[in-house]
Amino acid sequence: MRVTALIRKEWMLLLRDWHALFLLFAMPAVFILVMSLALQNAYAVHQGASFHYYLVDQDADAASAALIDRLAVAQEFKRVSSDASAAALEAEVQSDHMQFLVLIPKGFGQAMSGAHPLAVKLLAGPGVEPSVYRLFEAELHGAIARIYLQQTLNTLAARIPGMDAAGIDLDATDKLLQTESLYKVAGRNEVPSSVQQNVPAWLLFAMFFIAIPLSTTWVQERQQGTYARLRSMGLPAKSMLAGKLLPYVGINLLQVVLMLGVGVFIVPLVGGDRLTLGASPAALCLMALAVSFASVSYALLIANLVATSEQATIFTGAANLLMAAVGGIMVPRFLMPPLMQTLSEYSPMSWGLDGFLDVFLRQGGVAMATPEALKLFLFGLACLAAAAVCIRLGKRK
Amino acid sequence: MIQIKGLSFRYPGAEHAAIRELSLQVRPGSLFGLLGPNGSGKTTLISILTGLLTPAAGSLRIDGRSLPAEVRDVQKFSALVPQEHAFYPRLSVMENLKFFAGVLAIPQAECHARLDEAIAVTGLESFISMRTEHLSGGLKRRLNLAIGLLNRPRLLFLDEPTVGMDPQSRRFILDTIKRINADGTTVLYTSHYMEEVETLCDEIGVLDEGRLLARGTLAQLLGERGGRRLTVTLKAAPTAEQGRAFSAASGHALTGDEFSLAECSEAEFKRVVDLLGAQGLSVSRVKYGYGNLEELFLHLTGRQLRD
Repeated sequence: MRVTALIRKEWMLLLRDWHALFLLFAMPAVFILVMSLALQNAYAVHQGASFHYYLVDQDADAASAALIDRLAVAQEFKRVSSDASAAALEAEVQSDHMQFLVLIPKGFGQAMSGAHPLAVKLLAGPGVEPSVYRLFEAELHGAIARIYLQQTLNTLAARIPGMDAAGIDLDATDKLLQTESLYKVAGRNEVPSSVQQNVPAWLLFAMFFIAIPLSTTWVQERQQGTYARLRSMGLPAKSMLAGKLLPYVGINLLQVVLMLGVGVFIVPLVGGDRLTLGASPAALCLMALAVSFASVSYALLIANLVATSEQATIFTGAANLLMAAVGGIMVPRFLMPPLMQTLSEYSPMSWGLDGFLDVFLRQGGVAMATPEALKLFLFGLACLAAAAVCIRLGKRK
Repeated sequence: MIQIKGLSFRYPGAEHAAIRELSLQVRPGSLFGLLGPNGSGKTTLISILTGLLTPAAGSLRIDGRSLPAEVRDVQKFSALVPQEHAFYPRLSVMENLKFFAGVLAIPQAECHARLDEAIAVTGLESFISMRTEHLSGGLKRRLNLAIGLLNRPRLLFLDEPTVGMDPQSRRFILDTIKRINADGTTVLYTSHYMEEVETLCDEIGVLDEGRLLARGTLAQLLGERGGRRLTVTLKAAPTAEQGRAFSAASGHALTGDEFSLAECSEAEFKRVVDLLGAQGLSVSRVKYGYGNLEELFLHLTGRQLRD
């Protein structure tokens, strides 16, 4: 009965706190929407060109024409035509108004098979990401190698009687590589979209932000004397913790439903990909419960460590950003150096993210998500125990 | 109702103990006023009595139950009304009362009656639907008291329940407390307002720096503790010769136009006045004893600022 009263009170307080509702529901929903759309092209494979380049052909012979044709095949890179001089185009790339400039020097085709070949020049803007730079470099390199090979075959065919260079199909090399993403939707292999990659990460981030309204409410209760009054009424520490834990876990689970709803229904409406919920609803529920329990218990610990609402807000914000940075929410873990990757293994957000990715990307079931869920439950129990100790110590203060 | 012996408590890291070997008894059914300057230990003592703090030393019994061991039993028949507005501003008066009734685990069958009773006693009938953040200071104090009445306490701790109230609201609260006490509830009441304690309480304790400096009824305190202080103001300062002659005869030094003795019997009082007259010294004012509690309080606790 006591815990029921506490739960009812928390719900009423939260429903009347527009700031908290905005922080818990509106902000993460908008965040997921924005991040999914903003990063759509970074994860996309079929959406067309993402990067652009100028090309200046100073040679204008068959080899340079073949190189231009070959580059045009690359879906991610699109040539932008311009009549400006090479120096003017270079200035545009220098100022990041264009990402790349490809300069084919005069005599390129002629010198290709000679003793002194002329190199094609690739200029990249200062703002181009190194990974994109390397990707375009590889694309260009592949195209040049193909033309060089074709020209070498033509030269050899002229010297070797009976050899027919035209009969050698260089496109056959494309068949020598087969790629397959192990991400499946309805039994079909697909490449995961930005929504699929982003929703779990930012959902997790939002769930841990529950520490702000929870800890500020607790601090206000202490400052207003309500906490002392409740304790003087004989309300035990376990009831006080349960009275916060249960309603806020409920709120956390509502957040999950809302965020997933945004991924499934709202993102496609504004031109993004639809979120698919994985193969195992049970695993999804397990992870949602585990993350929720961990984040609310962590919030209860913070609430008992801080003295003022300002401390609660600042500490929670900073700690969440740090956990998110270390845990692979902001920077994917595979991009981190080995030391940071090791450090990342100790972040609860990293466990949560791994578990959610098990469900959303790896199509895993309960068995696959259990190790991460277990770590989160243990983390939550440790936080709850520490919070209970803080309450007990507070009695002697 | 309350028996305290040699009670001591020190906050972690504090230089001095907040309560120092304090002993006190509060009779069942009494309305006991606890006076003390800021930081004297009043709220700390109430926190110990309500089980919020655990004392380092001493024994404490409430209605035969030993604290802190039997604190849960004591909490069932006692209630604390803190000096803060200890309820939820975003909930209405009724929502707050229902919530605290739930925390007190008042059975559903009794709940409505208890709520009605608390509302009626504190005169909150017209405000039950109003959010408490919109209540006036006086109404907030009344709600604070109403919550404390929900479990029909036999022992009520009131920690400065009238702070910041207008005279009308204060009078209402004081009358309500009197009625509650008349119905048999023992009340332990702390306040800074001396006139409140004078008119309300049948017993008074003066606390300072964690020690009980005085305890008794108002008459006892003003009559016995403060009744022996003599202050005489002369119309004009005595000459050197008058001063020497008075000192030789009375044994008390006389230099300026005011003369006082901390302890002065009635016989001594008469002798001093006679000796002053014998020296031709005219008296403009004589004060024997303390006129009110505030004078006694300032004498006992000193005039230096505490904050």
